[in-house]
Amino acid sequence: MTPAILYAITGIGLFVLGVHALTRRAHLLNKIIALNIMGSGIFLVFGALAYRTPNGVSDPVPHAMVITGIVVAISATAVALTLMLRLQSKTGAAELPEQSPE
Amino acid sequence: MEAMIQPLGLALDGLLALTLLWLAWRVLASADLFKSIVFFIAFGLVMALIWVRLGAPDVALAEAAIGAGLTGALFLAALSRLRQGEEGMANGTHLRRANGLRFGAQAALIGLLIALFLALGFALLSLQNEAPGLSREVADMLPASGVSNPVTAVLLNFRAYDTLLEMGVLLLAVIAAWSLSAAPKEAVDAPGPVLGGFVRLLLPPMILVSSYLLWVGAYAPGGAFQAGAVLAAAAVLLLLSGRSPRASGWLGWPLRVILSLGLAVFIAIGLALTFAGRLFLDYPPDEAGNIILVIEVVATVSIGATLAALFAGGRPQQDKRE
Amino acid sequence: MTTAETALMDTPWIIWVVFGPVTGAIIAFLWPKRASLLGCFAALVTAGSVLLLVWHIAEFGPQRYLIGGWDAPLGINLYIDGLSATMLLTTALVGAGVTVYATAYFEQTTETDRFFWPLWLLLWAAMNALFLSADVFNLYVTLELVGLAAVALVALAGSRDALAGAMRYLLVSLLGSLTYLLGVALFYGDHGTLDIGLLGELVTPAPADWMATGLMVAGLLIKTALFPLHFWLPPAHAAAPAPVSALLSALVVKASFYLLLRLWLEVFFPGTTPNLGQLIGALGVLAILWGSLQAFCQTRLKLLIAYSTVAQLGYLFLAFPLASTPAATTAWNGTVLFILSHALAKTAMFLAAGNVLRAIGHDRMVDLARGATGLPLNWATFGIAAISIIGLPPSAGFTAKWLLLQASFASGQWWLVIPVAGGGLLAAGYMFKVLSLAFVQNQSSTAGTRIPKRMEWTALGFALGALAMGFLAPSVLDLLDRGAPFQTFSPGGVL
Repeated sequence: MTPAILYAITGIGLFVLGVHALTRRAHLLNKIIALNIMGSGIFLVFGALAYRTPNGVSDPVPHAMVITGIVVAISATAVALTLMLRLQSKTGAAELPEQSPE
Repeated sequence: MEAMIQPLGLALDGLLALTLLWLAWRVLASADLFKSIVFFIAFGLVMALIWVRLGAPDVALAEAAIGAGLTGALFLAALSRLRQGEEGMANGTHLRRANGLRFGAQAALIGLLIALFLALGFALLSLQNEAPGLSREVADMLPASGVSNPVTAVLLNFRAYDTLLEMGVLLLAVIAAWSLSAAPKEAVDAPGPVLGGFVRLLLPPMILVSSYLLWVGAYAPGGAFQAGAVLAAAAVLLLLSGRSPRASGWLGWPLRVILSLGLAVFIAIGLALTFAGRLFLDYPPDEAGNIILVIEVVATVSIGATLAALFAGGRPQQDKRE
Repeated sequence: MTTAETALMDTPWIIWVVFGPVTGAIIAFLWPKRASLLGCFAALVTAGSVLLLVWHIAEFGPQRYLIGGWDAPLGINLYIDGLSATMLLTTALVGAGVTVYATAYFEQTTETDRFFWPLWLLLWAAMNALFLSADVFNLYVTLELVGLAAVALVALAGSRDALAGAMRYLLVSLLGSLTYLLGVALFYGDHGTLDIGLLGELVTPAPADWMATGLMVAGLLIKTALFPLHFWLPPAHAAAPAPVSALLSALVVKASFYLLLRLWLEVFFPGTTPNLGQLIGALGVLAILWGSLQAFCQTRLKLLIAYSTVAQLGYLFLAFPLASTPAATTAWNGTVLFILSHALAKTAMFLAAGNVLRAIGHDRMVDLARGATGLPLNWATFGIAAISIIGLPPSAGFTAKWLLLQASFASGQWWLVIPVAGGGLLAAGYMFKVLSLAFVQNQSSTAGTRIPKRMEWTALGFALGALAMGFLAPSVLDLLDRGAPFQTFSPGGVL
């Protein structure tokens, strides 16, 4: 196994762990953290696959995409946290209320 | 010699990967939110190490500063505000509950996720061991890009449109956060002379580091986002030490101008080029280096202000004016 | 040619349709007191740019624009053909009307209401960028822009339901876009390009491509709220302010659908998609059934309309099983026409519901009859929009369904006839439930709050537009054919 594939599989692992926590944890802060871990996993897949160049110098395009991705992630996280706090001040809990049964 | 280093390197990579997965597990499984966040910051730092291993120092810097540092700070601030909110309504409707998934559904979900993991792992293993990606194209065109750091060339020239939209995401995040709530008034613990003095000492070198990162980005790891993150960190420290320029005239339109300047200048340059008969963002090769520098300087200031504004958690409270 | 004409020809409208509204958003953010006026002006500029761009496409055919002068795979390209042009036009039509409505709706501005304008303009810009981009990573950024702006707009309502709905919407939206992004990572790792056209030439039925396809489809289906991934949609769409509900139901869910359609046509390997297409089509049928049933059971007007959106979105997926048959073009034509007609009719309904809510102060259907007699124009709006939703002639809804029926006959997929025809009956069921309220004679009629005329007339305008669009269908289909977006499958080649 090459380091590239090793890290790419690690990235997949992070993604899957994140999805699990996103669906399982009730507290919104846990959910938002889980989305960040998922994102990190995807970035790692990008970066790991960029490491497979024949000449040993990584492909810079995925690096640029990951930097973009990191900035998008922190923006989304900030909005999510603000919304969470607003919801808490309105409902008293940082959890999603039970959805009315369909 | 080579043969010795190879397995050693792989062992180190394996160790880092396992540490990362273990940290992620602690982040996600921990019952205590504070512990989760601390593990998340540690996770980000290990992630930054891995980026160095993967030959991506630019990303390592961004991950350490933004992914671990500022995101961690955002989480910690949110947690402390959550706790303040809980105190405010001790008798309020508190609906702490476990997620209402039944055992069967849980098992099905885990089964599904394991299947997804295996399928994706299999797909990854089926990929070629060597792939140049776009590294050759980037290397070929690098001399025409105006900078010699390939990542900066991609971010600000070849794929500048991504970066432009990303500046849009940052501004959108501020507008969204401001539309959601006013910045919470923190419980004003007197900052204490130590923290205050410490911050005052720390500010000049931070601004220096930020400028250095910005300058060096043209030919070495660094650039607007990393520099902006350091600026934001300085601003966050200022906010924490209670030196927020509340009620000063800075929080009205001057702040709005600073927040939107990065995006506005970027667009203005792009459009100006179309009026000059070129394509959008199509820099003349001789001027590319200078144009990129201008965009990066303005972007750095905007990014720093934006990230700090996001940390403040809402629109500035206008105490007396307006 | 005069200089003015040359300038008109040479201006890159493809850039202006994105950065016109962004510039408007920045100025509206800088000058919040004039946000509403500036918003109107920016909407005018944007709609004008879209019209000029669409005219250009209708006249000269599809266009590719190399941003920064860098061709793919190194650079990011924009590409516009009849399909993107139709989406841009739909967005401009709905956007311009909703802008007019919003000036009245947000007239008594609070500090937060003013944020509607920059958020809405950024949403518009992001959707236009999405319709134009030919780069799968750039599309991810546009998806995030659309999602974040839409969530913030929902939360503007500020109520408990709106905040909870917005929060759930945000989490689901991020899950969707991250799933999509993982697919992008696999595609890039496999082929070293992000350009839709280049990817289309390189994709094979290999495991990595198959997984990438699956992830991207799944991510976009979550965002488009296809049954059973629709659970987030009704609370968010119902709790949002009326103009936002209209924008979400008419446009935002269609944006991710457009992307799915585009990738399906050009990137995903035809050999791997027929089975997936059948599955998606089946889910579409279930969406029609389940959404209609739920709509019928709702006790609040806006929730009923939101569930109707869940049902109507199902129709968009009925063409997927036909994608690799010779009838594909007819089916896709019907689908896109359906997008346009649903956008107009649903905008009319949500705006009319907003008027009712504004006038009476609630939208509980049991009590609606009481105030109903005071709002004749709104019930007329509802009735006319219902014609299009049910799919009766001469509405565009009818033409769209007719094309879908033709395609299913032509391809021998007879089973699709049942949902297409039956869905109309179901829609009639829940629509008459609403309309019957208007005819209940109730003595205790209370005069509600007066609502601005502008709000009533815009809603009616959209309903009439949906009806009249049936007559304009041939021109729309003619525009849609520019660049032959649906010709990518060799007819019968896969079967």
